[in-house]
Amino acid sequence: MKTQMNRKGFLGSGLAALAAIPFSNTFATNNIIPDLVPSIIPPYLKPGDMVGITAPAGYITREDIIPAATLMQQWGYKIRVGYTIGKREHTFGGTDAERLQDMQLMLDDPQIKAIMCARGGYGAIRIVDQINWTKFKISPKWVIGFSDITVLHSHIHHNFGIATLHSKMCNSFPIVWNDASMLQKQTILSIQKALSGEKLVYSAPFSNYNREGQAKGILVGGNLKTLESLAASGSDINTDGKLLFVEDTGEYLYSIDRMFWNLKRSGKLSKLAGLIVGGLKIKQDDPGEYFGQSVYEIINQRVKEYNYPVCFDFPVGHQIDNFALKCGVMHELYVRQSGSELNEK
Amino acid sequence: MIIQTPPYLKPGDTIGIVCPAGYMAFEKASECVRILQEVWGYKVIVGGTLGSKSATYFSGTDQERLNDFQKMLDDDEVQAVLCGRGGYGMGRIIEKINFKKFEKKPKWVIGFSDITIFHSHLYSNYRISSIHGPMAAAFNDGEYNNKYVQSLKDALEGKWAKYSCDIHELNRNGEAVGELVGGNLALLVHGIGTDSEMKTKGRILFIEDIGEQKYSIDRMMCQLKRSGKLDKLEGLIVGGFSDVQDTDRTFGQGIHQIIYDFVKEYKYPVCFDFPVSHEKENYAIKIGAGYKLKVGSKKVTLEE
Repeated sequence: MKTQMNRKGFLGSGLAALAAIPFSNTFATNNIIPDLVPSIIPPYLKPGDMVGITAPAGYITREDIIPAATLMQQWGYKIRVGYTIGKREHTFGGTDAERLQDMQLMLDDPQIKAIMCARGGYGAIRIVDQINWTKFKISPKWVIGFSDITVLHSHIHHNFGIATLHSKMCNSFPIVWNDASMLQKQTILSIQKALSGEKLVYSAPFSNYNREGQAKGILVGGNLKTLESLAASGSDINTDGKLLFVEDTGEYLYSIDRMFWNLKRSGKLSKLAGLIVGGLKIKQDDPGEYFGQSVYEIINQRVKEYNYPVCFDFPVGHQIDNFALKCGVMHELYVRQSGSELNEK
Repeated sequence: MIIQTPPYLKPGDTIGIVCPAGYMAFEKASECVRILQEVWGYKVIVGGTLGSKSATYFSGTDQERLNDFQKMLDDDEVQAVLCGRGGYGMGRIIEKINFKKFEKKPKWVIGFSDITIFHSHLYSNYRISSIHGPMAAAFNDGEYNNKYVQSLKDALEGKWAKYSCDIHELNRNGEAVGELVGGNLALLVHGIGTDSEMKTKGRILFIEDIGEQKYSIDRMMCQLKRSGKLDKLEGLIVGGFSDVQDTDRTFGQGIHQIIYDFVKEYKYPVCFDFPVSHEKENYAIKIGAGYKLKVGSKKVTLEE
């Protein structure tokens, strides 16, 4: 799978915040739901800006964040290591109270311009309702991560309409940069490009299962299981008119099927602009319980009655080819015979 | 609106057995068929989805399972429908089931696990009671005589339930009266945000599950709480959680503590290890029927 990044100009931070793209005429302007209008873009990062690293979910050792901290310093950023890094409360990076406080400090500290979650695992949902977003809403900053961090993307998008960055986290940075594959380097560099305001272009190979077409919409999504676990909560996203991307790992095929039924039956598939399917790593069926359908077939059945483009094998997920994606930002999707392309607009 | 209770069964009535979800070989249900006929005194009709020729995970295509289930729901000769087993698949056909005739002439539908989505759909949309209880395999190996399978017989005959179990150190004592709702935790959570979502306000909720990771149970409890399913309960009954898994980086809490933490701020009674589960200990419970839950310092009782 090959993905190119094009340098397509540079959005200044002040400008970006105002870069409200004229969008769908169907939404009433007097009663604006934050997640139905183009997002507020946090200021892009400049050399010398500070990135905070925290562990709102699973635990990570201090040693394990060194490659990420070192590389981001080479990019010209200052690094603030949160006190949950190196902390451990069983599977978590500290108690709920500790993880909440560390996240809160980073959200509220005006010096910190972006917050990278060190890893996923499980735990963001246990603190999201206790976070005080008052300062963050006034001075938005980039929140970075994926997998369990989908909770934060979804919550921030739905409640505040502020863009976030879905990308690899500290535990995916190569220990020795020069030993890393070209693809791994590209995915890590896509984080830097996204944070500095570059508009990214992504490509995916042709798939027989794709549905061709072209669509424009706000990009939302993340980990499928996590999205399902947010249904009907205060962090649940509205997907109407949007480009939805999903990825997951370690789920049974029947579970993928069930989750897509949940998306469908909770109204999240019927009004999409387009569907983007990243990596879905499957857990082998138990003996005698063979599901008998591939993820491609499962998903295509759930969306066959709609007309929007569907793109499979997109470079996002629990895998090496997992590129940084700006959630809440307008994108254009092209699904063609020659392959698929996603462009930030 | 008052809950509708299907007519109880009389000797000679007919029970239809179908598999609306996973595949089941006929041999696995043959003992159940025999007991229902020879010991319990009912006639049995077996739908095409039990012991079908299906080679897939499911007992048939969505259409085949839907047709078989629909036929049993609508057949005037059938007074109760027993799901042979759960697995996965009811959620794929639930929206296509036509309740027009069933609504006017309800009958008991029995099952648990994946069948939870049916109970929840029926209760929330039609206010009709159904039975969360043992399915065909529970009759095997002479177990049809145990009090849990017997509780299904009693429920079908209209005898009111009077269950009890031992206390647990994390129980919160108290009394509650209300309609009883619940089932498999994963399926209850799966229904949230859809037309089959379980209503829990002012009701007693029961949950059970099997084979889930601890963090996953935590996340599901989080979702129940965040979608407003826990704050206005009259009581919570925690059934069996079998075969709980843990990650290499251990969760650090037992399953009882995990669940208790989500309801510790409320005042309603809570009991643990109630005999409703994927194990032998699985009493028949009428979804939507009125029950009285007493969580005491010596024992726990649940009475219709």
